[in-house]
Amino acid sequence: MLATVAGLVGVLSFHTKPSSISLGSLPGASSSSRSTTTTTPPTQPTSSNPATAGAPPSTTTSAVPSTTRTATGAQVNYNFGVLSVTVTASGKKITNIGIASLDDGGNGRSQAIDQQSIPMLEQQAMQAQSANIQGVSGASYTSAGFAQSLQSALSKLGF
Amino acid sequence: MNDHTGKRAGPQVVHQLIEVMGTVVTVDLFCSAGVGSSEAAVPLAKARAILQRADSLFSTWKNNSPMSRLRRGEISVADAPPEMVEVLERCAEAREISGGWFDPWAMPGGVDPTGYVKGWAAQRAIGAFAAMAIDGALVNAAGDIASFGGPAGERNFRVGIADPLAPHQLACVVDLAGALATSGAYERGAHLINPHTGLPSALMASASVSGPDLGLADALATAVAVGGVDALARLESIDGYEALGITFDGSRLLTSGFVLQPVPELR
Repeated sequence: MLATVAGLVGVLSFHTKPSSISLGSLPGASSSSRSTTTTTPPTQPTSSNPATAGAPPSTTTSAVPSTTRTATGAQVNYNFGVLSVTVTASGKKITNIGIASLDDGGNGRSQAIDQQSIPMLEQQAMQAQSANIQGVSGASYTSAGFAQSLQSALSKLGF
Repeated sequence: MNDHTGKRAGPQVVHQLIEVMGTVVTVDLFCSAGVGSSEAAVPLAKARAILQRADSLFSTWKNNSPMSRLRRGEISVADAPPEMVEVLERCAEAREISGGWFDPWAMPGGVDPTGYVKGWAAQRAIGAFAAMAIDGALVNAAGDIASFGGPAGERNFRVGIADPLAPHQLACVVDLAGALATSGAYERGAHLINPHTGLPSALMASASVSGPDLGLADALATAVAVGGVDALARLESIDGYEALGITFDGSRLLTSGFVLQPVPELR
């Protein structure tokens, strides 16, 4: 499962739509250096069976309930406003990721985020889970705010 | 701090996000039994300090950074901090190796080593974990990745390379041996500059370079993205470095030692 969470945050640190979320490229963003630390249990080998891939690991390491839970991450400032991310998980598998709130001050960014970025980020996250990878390399456009809020939502869910 | 498993005796992963250099750097430490977030605290602080110092030295956004002052001609290289001298020397080497396709001195607005610095800083940061009793470490600076080791019981990490033509999908998966950097024009419009013309342009939709050092890999990835086949061919003669270029029509060009793994189907 660690691959999932590490890969997930790695994937979501990676962003390609300059018109939507473009955090961290301005001087103000680069002057801060907030950080969060989480600790996750180790990777379970990914099963080739879709029905069991991503299933909770053995009871000795899983403290996460198998029910479906949803958590919303902290509201985080980004270049164009304030956003928060919501995550739904079933057991230790993330089943949905979305924007819980977004205040862009009426500059029209929210539409681009909703229509383009969220489906893309969600699909990346799901593929990272499926592929058992630990990260993604790409010419990136980072959403610092998205990653921060996501991380805080994951923490609430016990990842 | 969110530490849910700190009391657990078995292997675990310590994960940290560091917001620095205008981006987010993710650190993943794959710890052996008995090692956890408390053992990682000091090395993590050291890694964070390395990244922050790189930011304060090299930021072209911050008016008072030594890099900004150098660009304005207020200080000379002789007056610059030793890390800047080192980086500029390495950049000059990368310029030569790449046949001029990576050239910080050809950037509009004055010398700009940004294309080298992010990888260089991440490579230095991962050194903070070298003495820890861990199976492996990953430092992912927004898509440019430094690593050593792998997950418990595995020789190396696996990472995906984003598909530049369908950025929500992976183009391929590779077994990581050290560092992997990817550059492409799809990142934020045409920000890649052809050093020979001074104009924005790229011959590859994206270029990935693997090798032992992320700073050089980062510079060479930029070179291949801008210079295309000519730049990629030069990598054949550089020991330890391999390249994958993805063209705008989706073709893939690889140096002889670049090994692709299949991408699992999305389920």
